[in-house]
Amino acid sequence: MLSADNFLHIGLAHYIFLSGILFSFGMIAVLMRKNVIVMLMGIELMLNAVNLSFIAFSKESGNLNGHIMVFFVMTIAAAEAGVGLALAVAIYKKFHEVNIRFFEHLRG
Amino acid sequence: MGTDAFEVGVNFAKMVAIFLMMVQIVPLLVWVERRGSAYIQNRFGPNRVGPLGLMQLLADAIKFLTKEEFIPERGYPFLFYLAPVVAMIPAALAFGAIPLSMPVNVEAFSMLGQHWGPYVFKFQSYEIGIGIVFVLGISSLAAFGVLLAGYGSNNKYALYGALRACAQTISYELAMGLAIVGVILLFNTFSFSEIVTAQSAPLNFAFLGHKVEWSVLPNWGIFYQPLGAVILFSAMFAEANRLPFDLPEAEGELVAGYHTEYAGFKFNMFFIGEYGHMLVASALMVIFYFGGYTVYPWLTPETAPKIMAPIAGLMGWSTTSTAVSLLGALLLHVVFLTKIVFFLWIFIWVRWTLPRFRYDQLMDLGWRKMLPWALLNTVVTAVIILVMRHPWGG
Amino acid sequence: MWEAIGFYALAIFLIYFAFQTITVPNPIHSALYLVLTMVGLSAAFFNLGAQFIAGVQMIVYAGAVMVLFVMVLMLFDLKAEIRAFSQGLFSGGLKVMSAALLAGLAIGAANSSVAILDKPVEAARAPADVTRQLGLLLYTKYLFAFEALGLLLLVVAVGVVAVSRIRGGTHAQR
Repeated sequence: MLSADNFLHIGLAHYIFLSGILFSFGMIAVLMRKNVIVMLMGIELMLNAVNLSFIAFSKESGNLNGHIMVFFVMTIAAAEAGVGLALAVAIYKKFHEVNIRFFEHLRG
Repeated sequence: MGTDAFEVGVNFAKMVAIFLMMVQIVPLLVWVERRGSAYIQNRFGPNRVGPLGLMQLLADAIKFLTKEEFIPERGYPFLFYLAPVVAMIPAALAFGAIPLSMPVNVEAFSMLGQHWGPYVFKFQSYEIGIGIVFVLGISSLAAFGVLLAGYGSNNKYALYGALRACAQTISYELAMGLAIVGVILLFNTFSFSEIVTAQSAPLNFAFLGHKVEWSVLPNWGIFYQPLGAVILFSAMFAEANRLPFDLPEAEGELVAGYHTEYAGFKFNMFFIGEYGHMLVASALMVIFYFGGYTVYPWLTPETAPKIMAPIAGLMGWSTTSTAVSLLGALLLHVVFLTKIVFFLWIFIWVRWTLPRFRYDQLMDLGWRKMLPWALLNTVVTAVIILVMRHPWGG
Repeated sequence: MWEAIGFYALAIFLIYFAFQTITVPNPIHSALYLVLTMVGLSAAFFNLGAQFIAGVQMIVYAGAVMVLFVMVLMLFDLKAEIRAFSQGLFSGGLKVMSAALLAGLAIGAANSSVAILDKPVEAARAPADVTRQLGLLLYTKYLFAFEALGLLLLVVAVGVVAVSRIRGGTHAQR
């Protein structure tokens, strides 16, 4: 099944593999880092990995719906980053810290 | 890059030449800036070294190259070194995507016992179909040069300067993008060359489905988008961090802003980046609103070779279409450079005429005045285009 | 051949940058690596024939969102974190394994569905044409989603201002 042709002929599968690796990196960042902003960056990384797979599928199937979806994902990701950073700034003002260790208890 | 050795070689040489052109224009601009400011402020300016003080450029270059290499002790050396490079690259890449003249047609010829097919060389480093989006995307990366400089030098003034520069760049990018949307709607394309081609014609537009042509004026964008032109040009000042928007390097408050710690050649690279941004900004203004490398009735891609054909004959060159095409392209290139120089002079003129804004005035102008006007410009342009191009008349 | 070399070079760069993003302790360095990842992804989009999306990726992600991230991190003035990662070898291993499992499942599912996909019906189009088609599709078939997105952005803008506002303006006593 694995042959030189699989490695030399770049197709959909290669891009999906790359996208999967990037997605898992983003997920690990969200699960394991303790800084709120780095966690937000992990979310951005996951969204970008999904965008890559959308574009790859779009090229493979020859229609543009994937492009449209990426367009929407980008808009929502920008909005999400704005909200997330505003919340991080509000948290920083309150606790002078953005490490989740310091505000895991729900009291102000 | 090309199909054979000749094409690849020419394309490569062209890239290098255009990059060098951008870099070499910087010392000249510095000279113009110093002499111009002296003229505006009724002083002499540098006039001792060489004729008209022109050798001052060389003296400056030697000074820049021989200064002490300085790295802040508690900074981040890698980021500190990276910042000037990151500040310079976007301007150079963006300038490469701008067409500086019409394409040159090279006929088939034989050289070194081989036949070399006919070529068309674009008068730009590389052509990208969506040139406008590319230039916008690349120049939005320039903010990182400033941020890295501010963070890498580990100095509070540098950091303040970087934060200010960044906030300013993001705020004015919105107005700039929206002003450009008006141009894209008008000419219906993302490609610079197509915009210029559309402008090398008499003023023509659709009026309620009828085609109206008025051959007195050229088809320049400024006649359709005056508000967009004003907004774009003012936003360009903010993007290039020039006075009246030079809060990031306000010397009265922040020493020298983000390049407080920089000296010698690293500082020079920031300089090249700033002037490169001015160059790109002027080129965009010329291409979007002032006809690019054409002046409609006299100098267009059609007429330029006809003008240059007798001159090519006069100089004893064979009047092959290759030579004529090359000379015509050079003529239009001179036209383009003349227009760019005009806008560069406006940049310098404004710098030495207007005082600096206060920070709240800067943000107020960007968000509460320019953004709504740019939005209005976009909506009105879209509605007018829809109404006018709709074939109600017949 | 060259296509393969280009792809593998890009993939190695992307994976390296993404790995650095999630492992370096200093959050600003992490954000800068993420910027490089974004630029690399833009190159990948360009490779895949989505020129307009690549440009938008540069403008929106690399030029705006990441600048905001770096700016906010600089405002906080965080030093390198002593405990960047959550504690616990077992739970940490569990988290990595679950992420890897999810990615593996997704890749496997997608890979097995590649064969079912219809082959491209149309030939490759010119990039300008793709952009035009994208615009047409966006304003006809997906018009409702587009308008909803505009409304969402408005709500988000108002919400962000409400969250980050200081009572009493810039002269507030704190």
